[in-house]
Amino acid sequence: MTSETMTQSFETISDEAYRDLEAAVGAEYVSREPGVLDGYTWQPTINDDPAKWVKRPVAVVLPSCTEEVQEVVRACNRHGLKFKAFSTGWGVYSGCTYDNVVQVDLRRMNRILEIDEKNMYAVIEPYNCGAQLQAEAMKLGLNAHIIGAGPACSPLASATSGWGVGWDGVYMSYGHRNLLGAEWVLPDGEVLRVGSLDSGLGWFSPDGPGPSLRGIMRGSAGALGGLGIFTKCSLKLYNWPGPPHMKTEGVMLDAQTEPPEHMRFHLCFFPDRASLDEAVYKMGESELAYIFTRTAVGAYVNTFAPHLLQNVSRTRAFRDVLSKTLKWGCTIILVGNSEDEIVFQEAVLKEIVSGQGGLSMETMQAAAIGPMMVMNFLRVSAIPMVFRAGGLFSTALARNEAWDTQMDWAEKGEKIKQRWIDRGGILDDLADNPFMALYEQNTWGHCEEIFQYNARDPKHLASLEPLFVEFSVAAMEMCMEPLSVTDARLREVISPMMGHYNEWQKKISLFLDARRAADTGMYCDEVDIDLSKIDPEIRETLDRMVAKLTWSEEGPPS
Amino acid sequence: MALADYKRDMEGCSRCSSCKWVPFNQIKSWRFAKNCPSICRYNFHAYSGSGRMIIGNSILEGRSELNDSVAEIIFRCQMCGACDTACKVYRDDIDLTEVLLELRAYCIEQGELIVEHMAMIDALKREDNVLGEPKARRGEWAQGLGLKDINSETCEVLFHAGCRYSYDPDLRDTLRGQVRLMLQAGVDLGIAGAEESCCGGRAYELGYRGEAENYADDLLSRVKASGARTLVTPCADGYAHLKFLYPRMGKELGCEVLHVTQYLQRLAQQGKLRLRESVPLLVTYHDPCHLGRMGEPFLADWREDKLQRPMSLKRSGRKGIFDEPRDLLTSIPGVELTEMERIREYSWCCGAGGGVLEAWPDFALWTANERLEEAKATGAEALVTACPWCVRVFRDAAAESGLELPVYDLADLVMLSAGITETARA
Repeated sequence: MTSETMTQSFETISDEAYRDLEAAVGAEYVSREPGVLDGYTWQPTINDDPAKWVKRPVAVVLPSCTEEVQEVVRACNRHGLKFKAFSTGWGVYSGCTYDNVVQVDLRRMNRILEIDEKNMYAVIEPYNCGAQLQAEAMKLGLNAHIIGAGPACSPLASATSGWGVGWDGVYMSYGHRNLLGAEWVLPDGEVLRVGSLDSGLGWFSPDGPGPSLRGIMRGSAGALGGLGIFTKCSLKLYNWPGPPHMKTEGVMLDAQTEPPEHMRFHLCFFPDRASLDEAVYKMGESELAYIFTRTAVGAYVNTFAPHLLQNVSRTRAFRDVLSKTLKWGCTIILVGNSEDEIVFQEAVLKEIVSGQGGLSMETMQAAAIGPMMVMNFLRVSAIPMVFRAGGLFSTALARNEAWDTQMDWAEKGEKIKQRWIDRGGILDDLADNPFMALYEQNTWGHCEEIFQYNARDPKHLASLEPLFVEFSVAAMEMCMEPLSVTDARLREVISPMMGHYNEWQKKISLFLDARRAADTGMYCDEVDIDLSKIDPEIRETLDRMVAKLTWSEEGPPS
Repeated sequence: MALADYKRDMEGCSRCSSCKWVPFNQIKSWRFAKNCPSICRYNFHAYSGSGRMIIGNSILEGRSELNDSVAEIIFRCQMCGACDTACKVYRDDIDLTEVLLELRAYCIEQGELIVEHMAMIDALKREDNVLGEPKARRGEWAQGLGLKDINSETCEVLFHAGCRYSYDPDLRDTLRGQVRLMLQAGVDLGIAGAEESCCGGRAYELGYRGEAENYADDLLSRVKASGARTLVTPCADGYAHLKFLYPRMGKELGCEVLHVTQYLQRLAQQGKLRLRESVPLLVTYHDPCHLGRMGEPFLADWREDKLQRPMSLKRSGRKGIFDEPRDLLTSIPGVELTEMERIREYSWCCGAGGGVLEAWPDFALWTANERLEEAKATGAEALVTACPWCVRVFRDAAAESGLELPVYDLADLVMLSAGITETARA
């Protein structure tokens, strides 16, 4: 079949370039079949473009090792093609943003190369998923951070290339903070090894004696494939005092996990936000919690029983109970190394909670909630339930900050969402649907206001871009870095207000990638956005901010 | 239904890739974390449940076309349902297996045919079985058993042997043993003998729906004539089709349909089947896809927005037959059961289904060997299952790979314990 016979036409790869790709990885592992390519083109998750199809790659390759990745990248350089890495493929970030891109599907590079029990780290390849790493680590009394997007995701990708937040951050930190070393195929095909690995000393240290380049290779949000391909990395592992295998029957809503020793699952509720905030700070100072997240009961009901929520939310009394009475809560899993320790932890928790006028309910030993939910939190396996209500969701996040700033963001997000719920633009989830986490005790926190929508409802699809802009403007108003820093559509507008950050990124890109072979759309480039669809008052706010906050060549505005 | 009727399912794919993994709470190791043989073997996303839905959507939107290569991708799949079960952990609004079936039917409509499947369908039309064996020899397996002939007599229980069991000489002792167990328990049992035909389920899976309907009508009339109140089949494939496909097509058999393991377990519970002899063996049990997750009974179709579909009508895979075979197995004195990592509704497929064994036998054997390795990892001395297609491909795979693990039909062990002297073999 040729593209001429199809209704739509797409860019194609030359035979010569295709042969070079075949030579790099073997003919069996290359395809330019349009149907196969579209498997990498349909990227609906956290994609605010109603079309959901991103740019179709001209070919997809499946390398099996670093050397093959290098050959693919060199072939792309030779033929004037771009390339974009693809690991487990969760979210629009995995897709191509330019024409003439070769998608490098790293699925065959899927191994756990090493788990160093004594030094508590694992060396993994790109297609190893969070659930696999955790399952193997737990056998050795260790555990691995799993990001909020869930256990299907690649820990390598979130550590080296993008984001990295999760419920277990209070104990197991954040993706890039756990990165101890990486093997990095640069955009010209050369391999760079960072951390102690570069000096042949193994994978244990990110900061030397080899070069520490974490700030360049990923920074805060990640280069999202714009600076090359990461083929191996070493990740810090953490203490796991639980059993080698969490014995569980059932798969999700029917799941029942045998309660392990020295583990408690607490649901805590507080009379108001101030008491919740105070309790959270105290919990952090006390170094409590293995898993921590804020609990919005309405969000839980919406996630696990969307039909039920749709029915009860029509009744004002139930709606108030869910959205107001139980509004200020958190979920905490405590794990101790001994009975004495868990008893102590629980006593501390109870004192903190009662000291703020709250109440806490232990549900692991005494009730069914803990055994049903504990794996959903430990393995982050409940996350894709967010698709259930309407098929898709997106998120509003602002850069990680202190807990109370994140709570401000949650309240702001709730207000914005309520307005869009009222106008029928997104699904009604009682507006407050936060994904919140603490990091490294309470030094910083994370909040995303999740919003769900019906993937087949044109009205919902039409809301996505205006909402995206509105959340970005709101974050900027609060002096927080919006999600849109990784989105080409708003960079032209927001970058000048943030020190022209993407111009610096472009300099890094050019230094490492003179031929611009990497697909840098997510990393640093800009595309036009039609702001005419944005609400006039949001547009006015944006214009006012641009006038006030844009950096000049001399520096920030006075 | 047509492919376009499943557009909402296909465009509902969030591409989360849950369809490629064992439901996450049940992942116990790196090695056995994946659930889909097709994507594991061929790697491109197109070979996953999600990937095939995207292909369907792409074709409907005019972005790509169906051709030989795409048809091969669509058919290199055992139709085992693992992707559907994993997807439905999170989704109420996508029926992945139905999309895959619809894609196959679309291929047939468009003339994109797999040569080996055409040969299979030709054989089916000619001899009424998918193996192409002579129809006249279909009932030979029952010689000397004294079974009623439903073509001339009525009976309480109709035994539908299925294609594989009827003709595979390697499985003949097992089949005869199953019948002898029932006769020993005093069951009034009849068969159609040479007049028995394929259930038509495999034809449906290959996209040849007209043939499937014809065979359903044939079996329907046979059941009515027999007067049977219960139909028992040892074929897991057939069981799923009789429990789900037939009622969905509006072909109500008007009798209870049971898999032979269910029926034997019932007889054991009633004390009519006595398992006295010890069979000292550490075994692991393989859930056949079509007895397990695909073996759910049909309840009703839901034509409205699937986001609003009652949970009770969602085909989640959990209501298949999982416990009865295990209960029967563990009721045998001396048998000890050790479970594999992937079991019940998240079981790994044997590799034989969906026309793969016939068209791509290397892929079928590769899939079976993956399962044999998982079974071996449990430390079990034998693999036990309850489907003739599974037994066949496991034995062939073990022979090919040299992996030493005896493979038994569950009935083989029941026979040994009940003192039935048909020779059980592995």
